[in-house]
Amino acid sequence: MSGAFVHDVRLALDAIWKVLLASVLLGAGLPAVFALAIRSLAGGRLVVGRVVAGVLLLVVAYGVASGLLFIVASGQGKDISFAHVIPVISSPS
Amino acid sequence: MSAETLALLLVIVTALGFDFTNGFHDTGNAMAASIATGALRPRVAVALSAVMNLLGAFLSVAVALTVTNAVVKTFDSNATSAGHALTVPGDELLAIVLAGLIGGIVWNLLTWLLGLPSSSSHALLGGLVGATIVSRGWEGVNWVGDGTKLDGVVGKILLPGVASPVVAAVVAGLGTFAVFRIVAGIALHRLNRGFRWGQVGTASLVSLAHGTNDAQKTMGVITLALIATGHWDHLDSIPLWVKAVCAVAIALGTYIGGWRIIRTLGKGLVDIEPRQGVAADASTAAVILASSHLGFALSTTHVASGSIVGTGLGKPGASVRWATARRMVGGWLLTVPAAAIVGGAMWIVGHLFGLAAGSVVEFLVLLAVAGYLVARSRREAVGAHNVTDAWEDDQPLPLPVPNVPVDLVQEVVP
Repeated sequence: MSGAFVHDVRLALDAIWKVLLASVLLGAGLPAVFALAIRSLAGGRLVVGRVVAGVLLLVVAYGVASGLLFIVASGQGKDISFAHVIPVISSPS
Repeated sequence: MSAETLALLLVIVTALGFDFTNGFHDTGNAMAASIATGALRPRVAVALSAVMNLLGAFLSVAVALTVTNAVVKTFDSNATSAGHALTVPGDELLAIVLAGLIGGIVWNLLTWLLGLPSSSSHALLGGLVGATIVSRGWEGVNWVGDGTKLDGVVGKILLPGVASPVVAAVVAGLGTFAVFRIVAGIALHRLNRGFRWGQVGTASLVSLAHGTNDAQKTMGVITLALIATGHWDHLDSIPLWVKAVCAVAIALGTYIGGWRIIRTLGKGLVDIEPRQGVAADASTAAVILASSHLGFALSTTHVASGSIVGTGLGKPGASVRWATARRMVGGWLLTVPAAAIVGGAMWIVGHLFGLAAGSVVEFLVLLAVAGYLVARSRREAVGAHNVTDAWEDDQPLPLPVPNVPVDLVQEVVP
């Protein structure tokens, strides 16, 4: 019992730091990028500001689209990999 | 009608009832922040969430037959045919599942009455644990898994339950802090419109993920009961009608809106403004998706609550109502034992009367308890009209207010 418990804790810690890392990147990083976009939009009527904002919003849109794709793929019982930036969907191994 | 068919029917109806409570219990996880900041009007928010849940439920074709395995070994994942996949006799499985579902529903309704966000999955698994302990003994419960993957009460309930609010709070805290630093000095009215849109997008994503994950659990339970009674013999698909009724049940539940819980999450913990709402919802979405990608199943409720607390910690000068947070954590600690007590008691009731009569008696008890709790909720009704009223604990501010937030000053003095 205690051996298995320790094993469970180790497995959980192993998963938690990965979840934390990915979530900080996406869950805190994307809102920050979104905030940067809004900041450059609010900066004035300069074309540069709008272009920068557009690029930043594209980054956010990519993040949201990946999330959406992930929900759909996992709902279909498929694996999805983000290792090559462009998401790759495959059947589970 | 045979005893088994009657029990099966009651299991299906009760499972759909659970799915319905699962829906309204979790509306707040996705929508509380958007409702609190005014990004969406309350009715629009619950309707959007319901549609997203419906879509999400239909999107999921993955078969969640192993949902009960987390706590009680009922299903052999290596089996090649449905007839040989069950590791407990069919009527025994029906009795455990029915009692477990009732334990989950009763706890969901009680916590809803108290306005406490709590995990529906934990409530269901808790109910199953209780029914298993009384029927198959202490050893019948899968407490810690077999060491190869996170499993059992410890791996699927305890550890994720402890970790998820903390992870979510850290992420939302960092996000909030970054967002406030980045947009500091920009007039609020310019900001709020953009951030409200951000909130609507992230909240929809959370609702969609919720529909995919949570409806699947009820679909799994019903399909398991169908296999147990010989009404279904496929392992790689579920009946279409099961999918349809589960999707509709969770969407209807979501649309009813657990206003009492939305109120606690949106107003009771932190006074959220749109910038914090985006950080909280993005954190919730990211933590849920990242964890399910890594096979570390977290409860949406714990994640959403942690995110909202985190957004209070990350905003300079904001405060968190720790009294509310403490009540919620107390509720989380009680979820599994309380649902287990109800589930265990229900199994004993069912056992005393036999499968057919027992199932009917259990169901009548459930109806009576549910009726009482709903009637009780009418005394202090919470609905779309008063969900965003100021939190009662708020003290009236002494005038003149010495520390007005910087943004407000900028709003008035351009």
